[in-house]
Amino acid sequence: MRLKTWKFWSDRLVDVASTTMFLILATSLMAQVAETGALAGTITDSSGATVANATVTATNAETGQIRTARTGADGSYRFDQLPPGSYVLKVEATGFKTLQILPTTVEINKTTVRDEALGTKEIGGEPTATPQENLPNAPSSTTAPSLSDLGLTPEQTQGNPKEQALLDKRTHMLKIHQRMGLITTIPLIATVILGPGAGGKSEGTAARDAHVALGALTGDLYGITAWYAIRAPRIKGAPKRGPIRFHEAMAWIHGPGMVLTPILGALAFEQKNNGERVHGIARAHGPVAIVTAGAFGAALLSVSVKF
Amino acid sequence: MKRFLIAFLLALSVFAQTDTQWVLQQSTLTYHVSHPLHQTDGVSHAAKGKGVCHAGQCDFLIAVPVKSFDSGDSNRDLHMLQVTRGAEFPMVMVRTRLPDSDSKAADIKADLEIQFAGQTVAYKQVPFKLEKQGAEIHVTGTIPCTLSDFKIEPPSLLTMQVKNEIPVRVDMIWHQQ
Repeated sequence: MRLKTWKFWSDRLVDVASTTMFLILATSLMAQVAETGALAGTITDSSGATVANATVTATNAETGQIRTARTGADGSYRFDQLPPGSYVLKVEATGFKTLQILPTTVEINKTTVRDEALGTKEIGGEPTATPQENLPNAPSSTTAPSLSDLGLTPEQTQGNPKEQALLDKRTHMLKIHQRMGLITTIPLIATVILGPGAGGKSEGTAARDAHVALGALTGDLYGITAWYAIRAPRIKGAPKRGPIRFHEAMAWIHGPGMVLTPILGALAFEQKNNGERVHGIARAHGPVAIVTAGAFGAALLSVSVKF
Repeated sequence: MKRFLIAFLLALSVFAQTDTQWVLQQSTLTYHVSHPLHQTDGVSHAAKGKGVCHAGQCDFLIAVPVKSFDSGDSNRDLHMLQVTRGAEFPMVMVRTRLPDSDSKAADIKADLEIQFAGQTVAYKQVPFKLEKQGAEIHVTGTIPCTLSDFKIEPPSLLTMQVKNEIPVRVDMIWHQQ
């Protein structure tokens, strides 16, 4: 009897707990659904024809959260269950100008409608004075000023593909220079760390051999790094300002240092192999290497961190 | 009397149609680039601009050479020039049309069409503040440009890319002629 009563009450307890859990979950879900809004619209071209397959991106201005949708055959798009807030809409479609609209407010339980018209993309050259149909307050063709009205000459406004090609080559080479410089840092640091062991009183040659091998690797990588900087095309008339001047000044220290260090190192290596203490000019190997590595590090930092 | 009235109305209509012009007198355009190791501003004072008003509407054109932006580091400026294809497309051009009455407002929202790096992008409802100073208007605001809008690959330093957002702060003084 007692067992039956206990079972009865335990069953009721389970029922109450289940119902409570269900109610909590349902309320939470309803709250989630209730606390969102929607954004929808139709994308057309300047003639009013719908634009299918356009990419519409909605970015929440506060959180940066991005939602993307594609327009259907009827040019329509829709974002459901958007948290309320301000959204930046971007519309992209092949053959049309990218359109960015800001800001669009989404409210709880409401569907914000943004119908937009895309303008046709112009291919290269100066934009014509034709009306930009996608903008409700676009310039009129009769009064819109042109570049010549601003006193700009064709020489100032015309592109120079040769110079662009030169800039592209320069950037490509300097990117390699930058990456090689970073890679060079690894064996350079290792070589410096192994330096005291290689030149110490130890009779063993393992540390010395490792130091020599890493030094040689550093030298090779440094050579490649330097080659890409030296061979990168110069742009005529471009003044030199800012950290690049310090970066280049440091090269006048670590460049000769990178030549001198292995020469002095070879002398020191020979002396050590002959069982002699490192003496004479070879003693400068360590200090020169330290100055060289320091200048290399400073050059690297000068273009990496804003002082 | 009737003739006088017609003449007066005609004169009024001609006056209303009269073109007025705005000339960009001073400008500071500043782009901001964020990198994990750097916060960089590139500044140009070389913008040229003109606004022509007709029948209550003003068409504006502002043009600025890409090369004129100075971030204080010539190497970075050359890199920016390369990624934005500044040698091929040397000018940034901004066009907008505003109602003449906007010149009396303190806050306006402008639809801009920006041609830059070989791309044309329209920004709608960009807010600007206007401050009237005699025959001059001081305009300030920020255009929320992004690199991806103009199909520009984000430049990288030490293998880390800069942020996509490159807001452009605008500070201009226009003079009415």
